[in-house]
Amino acid sequence: MSAGTVLCRFDELVDGEARGFDPQKGGQDTLFGVRRGSRLYLYRDLCPHATSPMAWRKDEYLNRRRDRIVCFAHGAQFEIETGRCLLGPCIGQSLQAVAHAIDDRGNVRLV
Amino acid sequence: MKILGPDLLVFGVDHVPACCEFLIEYGLTPVGVTDQGGRFEAMDGTGVLILSSDDPSLPPALSSGNTIRETIYGVQDAQTLEAVGRELSKDREVRRAADGSLHCTDDLGFAIAFQVTVRKPYAAAATLTNAPGSPPQRGPNQVAVDPDAQIRPRTLSHVVFFVPDAARMEAFYHRLGFRVTDRFTGTGAFMRPEGNADHHALFFIQTPPFMQGCEHFAFHLGGPSDVIQAGSRLVAKGYQSYWGPGRHIFGSNWFWYFNSPMGVHVEYDADMDLHDDAWTPREATIGADASQLFLMQHREKWSPGGPPPA
Repeated sequence: MSAGTVLCRFDELVDGEARGFDPQKGGQDTLFGVRRGSRLYLYRDLCPHATSPMAWRKDEYLNRRRDRIVCFAHGAQFEIETGRCLLGPCIGQSLQAVAHAIDDRGNVRLV
Repeated sequence: MKILGPDLLVFGVDHVPACCEFLIEYGLTPVGVTDQGGRFEAMDGTGVLILSSDDPSLPPALSSGNTIRETIYGVQDAQTLEAVGRELSKDREVRRAADGSLHCTDDLGFAIAFQVTVRKPYAAAATLTNAPGSPPQRGPNQVAVDPDAQIRPRTLSHVVFFVPDAARMEAFYHRLGFRVTDRFTGTGAFMRPEGNADHHALFFIQTPPFMQGCEHFAFHLGGPSDVIQAGSRLVAKGYQSYWGPGRHIFGSNWFWYFNSPMGVHVEYDADMDLHDDAWTPREATIGADASQLFLMQHREKWSPGGPPPA
């Protein structure tokens, strides 16, 4: 993934919700983010256990209370802020955080 | 002991409406489903029961967080049910529910139950094939492809478990008349119950204890074209493919696996091998070469030559 790639505008993201991104336009989301207030937590869409995409449907990466990331391959649960697996097949491992910044035009940009 | 295979898989889930939506899109028929969940059935009455994880009627949750709560096996008749009850009562408590079903735990703590099967006779067409060198199965003007075909899961095929002791699971189900059909070395065995010729109704994958649970379940569709057509519809609606479409070697079944809001994989399968006691189990090391004859991957609709000229 090239630095500088724009994923979306930050204000398009719904607070508290997740969204998948396909910056390489390969037909499969490879990154996903969760917006919490003014913060975006961005990770590779790659379960440390199953090494596979995690949503059950486009943009569905969270549990019902929207307080955990879930891999819907085998139910592993991750802390949103740290990406650390708290329960399930990859307990103790972590999602891979993706460096990004919000530029002065309000775009979420890979760095 | 004529056990036929799983009749019903019971899940206790975080997000009941999401699971209900998924299983309807998958093709199962909701029966008495409310906001609190309910049953989703294939054509023969086998199915999946979705309840909220805090529903008091559920057996306890596994410590791994996996959402499987109970596997209810169908047996041929009341005599078989009593035989299963006698065998299991030798070394564990077996509880009889008001509907006559027998409930206990297996040797690794999975809740299991047995009932006179709900599987009912049904008729559904086979996929007909025209193969040069053999008599045609579809005559002149009989068209195979229907883009709008209704594709329904026919019967619950199999369930696969992550287990901390695959040898112990194999020994336990052997007591109930299950036979090993094939085996992945160091991983686990494919097993079929005495009352079902399908290559496997159970498969075990050896894992650390913190992974214990259901890895996936599968319902049989009518044929490979159904698997690919139904799977393509899920992909088009944004559902997440995990593995497939492809064809397994052990069992020969066509497959396509999807992530699900239950946090287990859900598979479409078709055209599985049948076996009897004359079969000698094979053994292989698990891996891409041993588990799939081929794998096709989805690509957005495309045709050679590109779009028509503007």
